[in-house]
Amino acid sequence: MSTEKIEVKEDKTIKELVGEMSLSSAPILLELDGEIFYPDENYDRKIQAGNRLTVIPIIAGG
Amino acid sequence: MRRLNRVFLYDDGAARALKIEEIAKYLRKKLIKVGVEVRGNPFAFYLLQDKVSDYARKIASIKIQDATKKWSSEQEPLYGEIEYEKKMILGKTRASGVLYDGLELQRLFFEVIPGRERSLQFVHIVFSNRLFATWDEHERRYHARVNLCGIPSIISTTGVVEAPAKPRGYYLLRQQYEMLGKDLLELKNSFKGAFIDYEDLRLTEVMKGYAMQSVFYSLVGDPFCQDKGCRLYNAHWQEELIFAQIESEYEFCQRHMSFLEELNEY
Repeated sequence: MSTEKIEVKEDKTIKELVGEMSLSSAPILLELDGEIFYPDENYDRKIQAGNRLTVIPIIAGG
Repeated sequence: MRRLNRVFLYDDGAARALKIEEIAKYLRKKLIKVGVEVRGNPFAFYLLQDKVSDYARKIASIKIQDATKKWSSEQEPLYGEIEYEKKMILGKTRASGVLYDGLELQRLFFEVIPGRERSLQFVHIVFSNRLFATWDEHERRYHARVNLCGIPSIISTTGVVEAPAKPRGYYLLRQQYEMLGKDLLELKNSFKGAFIDYEDLRLTEVMKGYAMQSVFYSLVGDPFCQDKGCRLYNAHWQEELIFAQIESEYEFCQRHMSFLEELNEY
């Protein structure tokens, strides 16, 4: 898995977004308008149709 | 491919054998147009003195007590554990024998990085002596790791010794040595060179490749390569690690070399 850009189709919360993408338990960060944050610390945050988010997976090695 | 603005290197009590300035010099050669800055301990660098105790408590609470039990935020650290972490932050001691939840450790580092520097255009790399692990939901246990790419990327100088498997023969003989009560140092000496050991003189060279994995994570979103001779190979065995980082005839495969050339042409 590598970074993925997505466009939000309709208004929703971060929690709804990660739920729909089955990413609730995945180690990821999100980027919106240049701001990077942990989704689970921003579950109530609202995102709007047309917003472009980047999903940044955290990747372990070794 | 993303443009990179700057690389920051931090020292969270990394092994004495690790020469961070040498890694900085190496990165400057590889990333001609990207500034590389060496910072000290990330907590000490960013935190005001009065916050050190708070973070010492936070770090102490992410210790893994049992590798078969997933970390819980309800863990209450002991006074002595907090004091130990305070000393770690202040550089008065070095980690030994403690296992941390890697994702939670990374989250604590993330918290102290100012918002304006939380970007994939900035590559934050923390070299740490702490041994960290990630939880495997399928196997229901923790796995020790060498690196964890994110913001920041963390690279463990203890993980590089403990996480990739040593030669099979080593484990077989170790069982025998333990049963017979023989000196394990003697066993280690008989495998000298076959794996990266504590304070290994090859450590800095090895870590250059892991630093580049963090760079490629920011650059293209993927830190790894399938080519066993490329420094970006995700080695799970010591033998693979030594080959990719030291013995291979080339540093990077053609594909990753071309990414670097493109980056340096901007």
